[in-house]
Amino acid sequence: MMLIVGTVPVKGLPLTMGKVGSEGEFLVVDGHPVPCTQGTGAMIRAALVTTEYLKLEPPRVLVAGDTGQGNGSREIYEYLIQKVAELSPEVLALHYCLPDMALTRRLCESVRGCAKRPMMIADAGSMYAAKAAGLALEFDIFTPDATEMAFLADPEATHPAYIARHLFDTDISQTPKLVAAAYEHKDAAKLLLVKGATDYVVRSGDILATIAEPDVPALEAIGGTGDTITGLVSAFAYAGLEPQEAAIIAARSNRIAGEFAEATPATRVSQVISQFPIVYKEHLCQWSGVCYIEGGSND
Amino acid sequence: MAFLRRRKQSFEGGGLVLFMDVHDAMRGERVLKKADYAVRLVAPPPQLRKGCDLAVEINLVEQPGIERLLREKDAPYVSVAPLKAGTLELLEIVKVTDFGDWIMVMAANMKLAFDKGSGIIVNTSGGGCPDIPHLHAEMIGKKLTEAPRPKDVGFTLCALMLDRALEESLNLWQGGNQP
Repeated sequence: MMLIVGTVPVKGLPLTMGKVGSEGEFLVVDGHPVPCTQGTGAMIRAALVTTEYLKLEPPRVLVAGDTGQGNGSREIYEYLIQKVAELSPEVLALHYCLPDMALTRRLCESVRGCAKRPMMIADAGSMYAAKAAGLALEFDIFTPDATEMAFLADPEATHPAYIARHLFDTDISQTPKLVAAAYEHKDAAKLLLVKGATDYVVRSGDILATIAEPDVPALEAIGGTGDTITGLVSAFAYAGLEPQEAAIIAARSNRIAGEFAEATPATRVSQVISQFPIVYKEHLCQWSGVCYIEGGSND
Repeated sequence: MAFLRRRKQSFEGGGLVLFMDVHDAMRGERVLKKADYAVRLVAPPPQLRKGCDLAVEINLVEQPGIERLLREKDAPYVSVAPLKAGTLELLEIVKVTDFGDWIMVMAANMKLAFDKGSGIIVNTSGGGCPDIPHLHAEMIGKKLTEAPRPKDVGFTLCALMLDRALEESLNLWQGGNQP
């Protein structure tokens, strides 16, 4: 089972868990509609589109409404701390939550109690909390953007708003230096997918790959296009690809989807996500050996 | 779904609200606890001590919502500071990218893009706190001058950085040739 966890901007949505489906513009979890916009919604939709294409079981999701005060975030953490061993997901992807170091520490303790350790993926607030609490090494994959990479590289910062100015001033070409600093301080997951003008795939400090084509600069301005990458990585890892392969294919897919959508800064993330099946049909077989057969199933 | 009882637990906040005297510190703690913020009274390290030897530890990410609440409740405080040395100042600088018809302004981990011609916000991106997707929905499609200010309606440092991006966007827009 792949379990995606995060808050959604739906006031009053209770803690909800179930398989996710879609109805028109919305995701549906246990009968509750969830908007497919920036954040956990975009991540879930990207993962769902991918599992549908690969004819895999759809993601299970654990969501709660939270518009910033943290109540939904805390409900999610508390539930997961108690239930993760019982749920025993193969992939556990943590996303938008109010960063909480103590709860993240307890969650990692609970995960250590799982009979089989899940693949741990974190982005957004969950990644901030993991780094701030000194728990990055408990995670298999982080998916920071360039500024978040600077945050991981700053041993003193507990949020990207407090990173040292000289680190914020660096451009994406300085990513290798930031990566080295983050690993030196044990503030990086085992694998990093750094999203930027050039995407970097890094394992234990070694840069395994860079992806710079196609160049679609507008993607950076579109809310949710980083979230989609995290959803894609999670889904491809759940499909059985090695983490670095999942990361490389996710980065390529997002760029090509942006190109197919003719992305501008005014494009919506849903327009990019709708391109993923077309991208997979054209490229996935060549990239991964997962091939699409007209009129039949994937193999 | 079964209701889960929260157990009493340790707290790692990462930030301190500093006060001039003990009375103010105790009042600040009461105000924040009443609003369900997780806080605790602590002794500030000497390098952060401003007036008294009592401070309130907070989750630093919640700094903007906490400062707003203390102001609203007339609970005096001196400042908020991160516990870790070396990161005492919020990031002030912004980066601007020109996309032709659009401009994108980045403040720390937050980005805001607007249409140069109309001044309408076309996207916000970045961040990781739960108020950000809500603000994304609230701000897109509105003119820069009419959008809600994240510092007024958001609760987290991500929202504060989005406000910085909006403020710089307003400066650019109002300093340009808008109709």
